[in-house]
Amino acid sequence: MKELRFHKAIYPASAVDEAVRVFSPHAQIDRREEGEEWIVEVTAKAPARERRVAGELGNYALGLSLRDKVGG
Amino acid sequence: MSSPILDGLAELDPEEGTARLTLDAELYPLHAVQAACYAFLDRCWLVVGKAGADRHTVSVTPKGGPASTDALRAAVGELANELLTCAYRQQITTNNRAVIEAITTRAIAGAMGPPSLEDLESFDFSEEPFEDPLGIAEQWEHKHGTSAPEEEPK
Repeated sequence: MKELRFHKAIYPASAVDEAVRVFSPHAQIDRREEGEEWIVEVTAKAPARERRVAGELGNYALGLSLRDKVGG
Repeated sequence: MSSPILDGLAELDPEEGTARLTLDAELYPLHAVQAACYAFLDRCWLVVGKAGADRHTVSVTPKGGPASTDALRAAVGELANELLTCAYRQQITTNNRAVIEAITTRAIAGAMGPPSLEDLESFDFSEEPFEDPLGIAEQWEHKHGTSAPEEEPK
């Protein structure tokens, strides 16, 4: 299992939710809230796949959070 | 085991193939950090975080399998350069905002065309036009007490 932590001041909920939705077909993904952070857990059959899905999910959420900021 | 590089700006974790940068929020504003990371989305996996009120963190993992220490070090170095560029660019934008706004306003006003007769009628000509400490707008005769030199025939 690979865990990602997204700070709420940087990643809006909409960006994290959208990223989770987009990558759900590729792995088991759970999202929960813990204090000031969104915790996303990625579980896949192979560690390499987990690592890749988690990495791309993080990048996607970062892109969406920037898009939200510039109003794109 | 992690090892610090770039004067403690980043810590490498070769086992995980990841580096973690810790940035002063005053030197590297959040928007600059996000912009720098955006430029690396095709090469690295990145997660931006916070460490207290005055620090940002960036977790960097080069794509394409476990990265060697050298590759990790190179990726972090390039990201650090990009961070500096973005932070400086943002500072220039902030410093020049008033100038940019003034030029944009004048450009838009100029694009609206010349004023109409009605606009000129309502214009207040009683105000001082502008300050002229060097006397640039002053007439030649007033400035030098002589008549203006005649133009030489061409």
